[in-house]
Amino acid sequence: MADVVLQGVSKAYAGRPTVHAVDLTVADKEFMVLVGPSGCGKSTTLRMIAGLEDITSGRLLIDGADVTHAQPQKRDIAMVFQSYALYPHMTAYRNMAFGLLKTTRLGKVEVDRRIREAAEILHISHLLERRPNELSGGERQRVAIGRALVRQPKVFLFDEPLSNLDAKLRSRMRGELKRLHSELGLTVIYVTHDQIEAMTLGSRVAILSEGRLQQVGAPMELYMRPANTFVATFIGTPEMSLLRCAVKPEGEGSLVQHERFSATLPMRAGHADAFLGVRPEEVRVSRPGEGLTRGIVERTELIGAEALAEILIGTDRVVARMPVPEAPDSGAEVSVFFDLARARLFDAATGRALPAA
Amino acid sequence: MPFGAPFQVRLREAGLAYLLLLPSLVFLAAFTYWPILRSVWFSFHDVVLGDSRIIWLGLENYQRLWDDRLFWKALGNTVFYTVITIPVAIVCALLMAVALDSKLRGMAIYRSAFFYPVMIPSVAAGMVWVFLYSAGYGPINQGLRLIGLPDTAWLYDSSWALPAIMVMSVWKYSGYFMLILLAALKLVPSDLYEAARLDGVSAFDRLIHITLPLISPTLYFVAIIGLLHSYQIFDYVYVMTHGGPADATNVLTFYIYQNGFQYQDIGYASTLANVLLLFVGGLIAVMATVFGRRVHYLGR
Amino acid sequence: MTSLRTEIASRPAIVALRRGWLHVVLVPLALLWLSPLVWILVTSLKARTEVFDPAAGFWPQVLRWENYPAALSVAPFGTYLVNSILVTGGILAAQLVTITLAAYAFARLTFPGKNLLFTLFLLQIMFPIYATFLTNFVTVRELGLLNSLPAMIVPFVASGYGTFMLRQAFRQVPTELADAARLDGCGHVGILWHVYLPLVKPTLIAFGIITVVTHWNDYMWPLLVTNSEAVRTLPIGLGLLAKSDSGADWTRLMAATVVVVSPLLVLFVVFQRRFVDSFMHAGLK
Repeated sequence: MADVVLQGVSKAYAGRPTVHAVDLTVADKEFMVLVGPSGCGKSTTLRMIAGLEDITSGRLLIDGADVTHAQPQKRDIAMVFQSYALYPHMTAYRNMAFGLLKTTRLGKVEVDRRIREAAEILHISHLLERRPNELSGGERQRVAIGRALVRQPKVFLFDEPLSNLDAKLRSRMRGELKRLHSELGLTVIYVTHDQIEAMTLGSRVAILSEGRLQQVGAPMELYMRPANTFVATFIGTPEMSLLRCAVKPEGEGSLVQHERFSATLPMRAGHADAFLGVRPEEVRVSRPGEGLTRGIVERTELIGAEALAEILIGTDRVVARMPVPEAPDSGAEVSVFFDLARARLFDAATGRALPAA
Repeated sequence: MPFGAPFQVRLREAGLAYLLLLPSLVFLAAFTYWPILRSVWFSFHDVVLGDSRIIWLGLENYQRLWDDRLFWKALGNTVFYTVITIPVAIVCALLMAVALDSKLRGMAIYRSAFFYPVMIPSVAAGMVWVFLYSAGYGPINQGLRLIGLPDTAWLYDSSWALPAIMVMSVWKYSGYFMLILLAALKLVPSDLYEAARLDGVSAFDRLIHITLPLISPTLYFVAIIGLLHSYQIFDYVYVMTHGGPADATNVLTFYIYQNGFQYQDIGYASTLANVLLLFVGGLIAVMATVFGRRVHYLGR
Repeated sequence: MTSLRTEIASRPAIVALRRGWLHVVLVPLALLWLSPLVWILVTSLKARTEVFDPAAGFWPQVLRWENYPAALSVAPFGTYLVNSILVTGGILAAQLVTITLAAYAFARLTFPGKNLLFTLFLLQIMFPIYATFLTNFVTVRELGLLNSLPAMIVPFVASGYGTFMLRQAFRQVPTELADAARLDGCGHVGILWHVYLPLVKPTLIAFGIITVVTHWNDYMWPLLVTNSEAVRTLPIGLGLLAKSDSGADWTRLMAATVVVVSPLLVLFVVFQRRFVDSFMHAGLK
């Protein structure tokens, strides 16, 4: 059992707050991803959990114990850094043994057993006597993970560990990390700016922006039911289109009035100025004449298996995704449908999803 | 106490920092700051070496300094030595460095040949040059005789003694400056030269308009090093001429030594030392304002 | 672009000529620079009369190796050598400790007055012992250290220059390594010892070489604070020999000079790369 609980954890540098009262619970054996654009405070939050930054206010519990002000080595955590942070003057073996010998009273035999075991799991047994500069990027990455594994900590912290790898290696290591997590039953907190990494790796994902927690949830939950416009546009590529409209109740649902069309949504959202959010795959395009409304195709991009079309509807733009043969030409006038059962509304003033949960 | 713990952490860190600095600071205080303060204090007093009595003199030492012809001569010699030797050595070093900044055969040998004087103790260097400069049997005079020039007793001639020491200084330090400049030249991106070559810029113009501006921070740094090494002129004066002939090679450091150690007049020697501190400090300040702002930093 | 490449490639003769021309300038210059050393060696093997005889020619008629034992017997050079080693070694050891501690504080800790203190450290570079020897002499005298080995060591225990150099090197060490070491259970001392020091070894060696060269050769300060054979260093001994001989016996003097300069020159020749790199990069980082 090793859960991590953040209670109103805040960080301020020289009086300027950078992380605002984050409340987050990471359950045992969970793979929690902290994701957000650069400067959103995700790395700072991770470093506070690690004990590398002190916590300005709030409480941090690991496995029920208050470690808010504990030294890093007393927290029973291990961390994998973006640049791997392997000691250049030590072999891979020494890199893995160093912290183990420093933080535990394990005998040489047990240390050796753990290192061999971790090396086996990570397929780096043949690299143990090499120094970091004799290893490739992917191999360094494995050694860095190995250094964390041998510690057998309660919690693993990853700080953008894949961002220094090339695209191919990155996707391989992603699969590897997923395998390690499920096979070994690790509790992981993982920081990344890459939403695809977040969606594929996380059992749950926490989205941060400007030092505030925006939403926490399973990847698909975030994708389908974003809590606000930030989450809505941050998750998913191309991003969700937002159309300005007015909303008022009508029967059991709501009437949405856009400058070019109006439609009924099967949910009650009260009176509001709002954004109608539709994802590219929720937009359907056909010949003029039918459809909810009409638009002008500004641009089409063929990206292999599918095509993306940017369509101007009044003053708003929506992006539609479709099979390549169905892609309209630029400049064409087309009819547009939305999958209104999946569409969502956001309050135009606050950005929050409607109806408020 | 929301701010309690971080504050304590900062306090502990500051405490540790001061603890780490303490050993250095104790010795810096005793042998750098205290001597400077003390020499200011002494300059207002009559202090005799080995005598514990100190008599307040006010500005008398400074008055004496103002009227002291020998002080002005020593100051003039110091200025002359500094402002000629450093630029000449730097120009020599620059030419050596530019010549060696190519994949030249025997590069390591040339480099060592120019650099080895730095390894030689100043006293040994001074002595050897006394021999080289000596009248009659000295190799330099023998060489001059071969081309029909008259003998000169270089170190005993009041118009040649100081220039003779300066020539030796150039020999001793150019190699050091060359090495530093060579390191800087290696950092100049070669595509800049290639671009200039495509534009048809001549080798000389490349040196003036590309190389020099780009290594100007290093030139500035070398000038500072040169200035700090010019303190060592004391060794050469002490070994080669003892300030003579007729104080032609008497420089500030040597004059301080004479007053303090030969005449035991610590008060007046301190006054001179203050002038030396002001001279060096002032020169560094001037260099910093004149050159410091105009240097181009390579990507930094 | 291609046309320029071929043009350059098709003119190896011109390149060779330019290189050759460089050698024409560099060879005489290098010889000029080497000539004092040559004269030291040649003179140290001559007979005394040969030195003063303009007709005797450049090379000694007989190689007089006996000049060397003769030179070494005039003064206790063995004692001088031991003293030089003790003084230089003492300074080096003390400096490595003080600069490591101070540089770590300046590179990696935050504390009030950091900039002011750093400026104070740099002040020592501007005002070395050559500028403050007078009042330093008074201090050392008051401390009762005159004419002792510590007198030649204590003024140099702290080094603003070394602190500066090492601080620059420490700052090149990625902070993530220090973070990793903290997670691996290291405190500040552990980080310094296990991570920083091994990684800045080249800088430590460079600083060590510069310190050794400086203090092995130092003349003025040892001259001022010593007055007995028991504590003199090699350069002082050589200076004394020069004074007593006053130019009368150049052969003996040059033999002694060879003895004094050779330890460093031999080290220089053997570890040429190390020495050159040390001096080359000492101030650039």
